[in-house]
Amino acid sequence: MNTALQKDAEHTLIVALQQGDAAAYEKAVREYSSGMLAVARFYMDAASAEDIVQDCWVTVIDAIEKFESRSGLKTWLHRIVANRCKNKLRSNKREVNTDFSETLDPELANRFNASRRWQQPPRLRFDESADVLLENGALSDCLDKHLSALPENQRSALMLYEAHQHKSEDVCNILDVSASNLRVLLHRARQRIFLMVETFQESGEC
Amino acid sequence: MLMCKDLAEIASDYIDGELATSQNLAIRMHLMMCRHCRSFIGNLRVSTDLMQAHSSVAPDEALMRRIDQRIAEALAARKKD
Repeated sequence: MNTALQKDAEHTLIVALQQGDAAAYEKAVREYSSGMLAVARFYMDAASAEDIVQDCWVTVIDAIEKFESRSGLKTWLHRIVANRCKNKLRSNKREVNTDFSETLDPELANRFNASRRWQQPPRLRFDESADVLLENGALSDCLDKHLSALPENQRSALMLYEAHQHKSEDVCNILDVSASNLRVLLHRARQRIFLMVETFQESGEC
Repeated sequence: MLMCKDLAEIASDYIDGELATSQNLAIRMHLMMCRHCRSFIGNLRVSTDLMQAHSSVAPDEALMRRIDQRIAEALAARKKD
């Protein structure tokens, strides 16, 4: 949903950043840092991810001069974060462990019988739209809690794809995962949210 | 034949329109016959929409201020150079 108006606004922001405009930096930090954090959390713990994002903003001051708009500003920033994380992991000789072998969440997988039919089918239908559901503050809080409990790789994929509306190929590029592995991450994360909402709708408990 | 668990395994791909035509058709046939899977797909769709609508990506203001500070220092240092 990148309209011409948004592109103009982004171009104006980029020019201001290139001129070292402090107010433009404050605006950009607030607009883009949460996505940058989501990328960093894919690779490392919360404290290290915050350090990486801070360091990246300092490098942006010089790097933005060479920004050529081949990608959007958001994608460019996310790539900087991903590359920095990968370099740091290489220097620490740490590997990112990810299990892509299971498509179904274990809790959901257990709800089917041996003949692959539902043994415990969905207990109710979510009749309301997402916007209406979110009007319930308790559900919104519960969603926050469950999102923060997701494995980092699932949460980052979900944040970039759903919340930050990146295209699949950009998410793959930023997080360095294959298209099929991204599909697994997204599906697993959505199942966790489905299980959470089902429990909440049924019992009111988070 | 596509069973309920098979459908659950590829449900997100179906929702996002990532499946081949033949798989899409198999899912639609299954959904016509299976109300449990209709509920599952509907609920998974709402769960996906919830993620898109949820604004939990609001940045932590304390971190933002630390970043502002570091940028201000870096900009000031550059002006001196």
